[in-house]
Amino acid sequence: MAENGNAYRTIFIIFLVLGALTVGEFFVAAAYPSAFFLMAIALAKSVLIVYFFMHVYRLWRPEDHH
Amino acid sequence: MSAVTATDHHDHDHANHHELSPMQQLRANRLAIWLFCFSEIFLFGALLMARFYLWGNTRPELDQNLGLFTTVMLLVSSYFMVRAEVAVAKGDTKKFERSLIVTFVLGLLFLLGVVLFEWGLMANPFGHHEALKPTDGAYGAMFFAMTGMHAFHVLTGLFFISVVYRNGKMGWYDEKNHWGVEACAIYWHFVDVVWVFFYPALYLIGTVVH
Repeated sequence: MAENGNAYRTIFIIFLVLGALTVGEFFVAAAYPSAFFLMAIALAKSVLIVYFFMHVYRLWRPEDHH
Repeated sequence: MSAVTATDHHDHDHANHHELSPMQQLRANRLAIWLFCFSEIFLFGALLMARFYLWGNTRPELDQNLGLFTTVMLLVSSYFMVRAEVAVAKGDTKKFERSLIVTFVLGLLFLLGVVLFEWGLMANPFGHHEALKPTDGAYGAMFFAMTGMHAFHVLTGLFFISVVYRNGKMGWYDEKNHWGVEACAIYWHFVDVVWVFFYPALYLIGTVVH
């Protein structure tokens, strides 16, 4: 995913989404401080980081280049 | 004596037979660091569960601006870490080194923000909240247990980053071989993932108890 020519663009878009979710949860907490809702946002953020930044899919990919 | 020699030969052949190819070794390394991260989930998960058990739907009064600042620092550092990993995979040494330096500086800012200001070792530049103390009952105990354990992992991550930077300077990594960078990146992002859950648990969830 992130190894192709658009790798820099992909990680930047994911970073922007993570930033928006972080700022969003800050303001959401003030208006509607639901533990379930805030943990759901945290879960969504963690999935993005684990997949796009930590490249968890490399674990089960049969071939790799380095 | 001859029997010993024969045994040695047998062990040597056995070892050669089971020697991993570079690809197998890389996959084993990846599995190992992911298992390490998985084992760490139990530690941080237990702290998170203890927070919800002891605090319930309440939380201590903490500086929201400082909390958001440190969170953003760690998030941006995670971005620069993955940027460094992409750069080394593309053979862009300069971008790799610059990104790693930025990652280190932002990680250090996070650490200083938590340890110096949130722990009350120095006056908080973001506000005038009285700092929580470890002796402040369940609130103080959980706050220092969670931030302390996480800060220790950030500290070890910073050490890891500095080792990878030094190795990069010595030319140990290239487009094909950069497992050290990948391992460091996975560890650093894991530290970020932990904070993704700790931030709302400490700063956002529940009503403030004065």
